[in-house]
Amino acid sequence: MLEAKDLHKAFGEKVALSGVSLKVAPGEIMGFVGANGAGKTTTMRIIMGLLTPDLGTSSWNGAPLNLQQRRRLGYMPEERGLYPKMKVAEQITYFARLRGLSASDAAAAVSRLVGQLSLEGKENTAVEALSLGNQQRVQLAVALVADPVALVLDEPFSGLDPIAVDSLVEVLQARAAEGVAVLFSSHQLELVERICDSVSIISAGQMVTSGPVTQLRAQAERKLKVVVRGAENGWAQGFDGDFTTDADVQTLITVTADDQAVLRSALQAGRVEQFGWLQPSLAEIFREVVA
Amino acid sequence: MKEFFLVAAREIKVRGRTKSFVISLVASALLVAALAFLPSFFDDGDSSFTVGVVGQELAAGPDVTYKKFDTSAAAEEALRAGEVDAMLLDGQTLVGDGSVDTDLEYLMRQAYQQAQLTSAGVTLDPLNVSTIAGKEAPDGARVALANLLVILLFMLIMFTAMYVAIGIVEEKSSRIVEILLASVKPWQLLGGKIVGLVVLGFVNLLVIAAAGLGASAAAGEIGSLPSGIGGIVANTFLWFLLGSAFFAALAAAFGSLVSRQEDLNGVLSPMTMTLIITYLLSFFVATKPESTVAQVFSMLPPFSAMAMPVRFAATDVPLWQILVSIVVMVVATIGVMMLGARIYQRAVLRTGARLKLAQLFK
Ligand SMILES: Nc1ncnc2c1ncn2[C@@H]1O[C@H](COP(=O)(O)OP(=O)(O)OP(=O)(O)O)[C@@H](O)[C@H]1O
Ligand SMILES: [Mg+2]
Repeated sequence: MLEAKDLHKAFGEKVALSGVSLKVAPGEIMGFVGANGAGKTTTMRIIMGLLTPDLGTSSWNGAPLNLQQRRRLGYMPEERGLYPKMKVAEQITYFARLRGLSASDAAAAVSRLVGQLSLEGKENTAVEALSLGNQQRVQLAVALVADPVALVLDEPFSGLDPIAVDSLVEVLQARAAEGVAVLFSSHQLELVERICDSVSIISAGQMVTSGPVTQLRAQAERKLKVVVRGAENGWAQGFDGDFTTDADVQTLITVTADDQAVLRSALQAGRVEQFGWLQPSLAEIFREVVA
Repeated sequence: MKEFFLVAAREIKVRGRTKSFVISLVASALLVAALAFLPSFFDDGDSSFTVGVVGQELAAGPDVTYKKFDTSAAAEEALRAGEVDAMLLDGQTLVGDGSVDTDLEYLMRQAYQQAQLTSAGVTLDPLNVSTIAGKEAPDGARVALANLLVILLFMLIMFTAMYVAIGIVEEKSSRIVEILLASVKPWQLLGGKIVGLVVLGFVNLLVIAAAGLGASAAAGEIGSLPSGIGGIVANTFLWFLLGSAFFAALAAAFGSLVSRQEDLNGVLSPMTMTLIITYLLSFFVATKPESTVAQVFSMLPPFSAMAMPVRFAATDVPLWQILVSIVVMVVATIGVMMLGARIYQRAVLRTGARLKLAQLFK
């Protein structure tokens, strides 16, 4: 279990984090979302030991993380970092060795990853000569090379085309299935919603909500949608919400405790073509909790 | 510790393969080898002359060889062709081509006056010349070697320090440092980089020494190299290690304050200025190795980094001064390394605008 507990961090006057906690279990994929400047990168850097928190701890299976254990975490920084002039295989090998792999283990891990990430034939290309997407793959290979128990990825999907996104998703899901704890930040909420078991939402340095996506949905404000054909305009006046008219079709989206009252009015007014609770999207939940 | 060596090994492998390193290695070796073939380079300044003579000769000593001509026209032709350095007519007139070498003119003048005195029946007692123990005049060959060392040490120390700074900024600007520092400690990263690049500089110096000595041997000039050349070379290696470690640590500290290569020159200027001052001082030391200034600066770090090996090459330095100088420089280098590591540690993850030292130690 990767855990951060009550992290606080200020840069001079500027408070970046004030009490951030999160937990990622082995095999879990957690999305980490929040507006620009909310504190995602700062949190991840603290977990990786690149920043010292003013207060709070980060731990793996209850033991505080030190450099030795951090070598078992795979990290992808927000701004990608590779040696531009170093060759792909040489580069991945170097980082594998720095994480404590022997020369032969490193070589085996590199050839395995090159296959998994479709980098065959590019082993001896300098990184700067690769396309952005392929550089991203090398970056991912660097994060994966030492068989990490957890992955900390800062916006791993940014800048990828849809195909590359899918292949990255596959890799992450495969690792999670092997029991790796995956924490990644992203601004692509539909993607987070699609692939994550759970989501943590951070706002202005504080964790607003955290948990499985289904649970967040259940906590969120639910909206009722009613579509009526051929009704008089006034029927929905008693209910708050968005009311739209398109020819003789009227749609009401409302937050209400008494769904039956809405239904009765609608039935009296005209022909009810649709009636049901909307599933709030993560984007809607996000807007609601961050607002 | 393993990480430290991995970092150093990467530096050696990657930098050692760059064109700029290979070019500077080959160019410096060729330059020094070429100098060894220049016979006059290690020349003490004692030169010999050939003078075309028509008629009477003058007794001008062993440095003047005469070549006889029957007519002054024939002698003049040889003079024009450069076969002789000057011609002497009837022991009376010395003629040069364009000019007469001042040393030759002096020798001939002496001989001429001596001849006149002798013919006038005057005999002179020669001046007694002897010495008391004291300063010897600097040995020309050693001064020349010292001057060469100044340039070599300056170049190699400067290259090493610059590569350290460039490497640090490269890692900082491309954010590799974030991944690196998630697996290695800052001092391992910094120390490994410095050691790797100092080793490369050391290799360059070895190649230069081998090229220079090899070429001297090939040119048959090994005998004209200063005595004690082995000690001079060994001493130079030692001081290169100390000096480049010192300046590399400075370069690392300053270099870690910026995030872009464009800002590097500005932020490194205190380091480069110190190195240039050291360089200029060392030229002075090479020519006046016994002066008080030379003695002081050859024991004062970081100037001693170049001043001491240069002085050692130019003259015989008392052992106690060598030891004091080494101890003080080692202490200073360790101090700069520790300070550099602290600055680096605080600055290396802070990208963006150029940092001020005061910002780091708030
Ligand atoms: N080194 C620093 N010095 C000063 N302020 C900083 C530093 N690093 C981060 N901050 C501030 O801390 C806050 C949190 O930044 P952080 O980078 O963690 O946000 P983020 O959630 O990753 O944002 P984004 O989505 O834009 O990547 C921001 O207000 C930022 O300006
Ligand atoms: Mg960020």
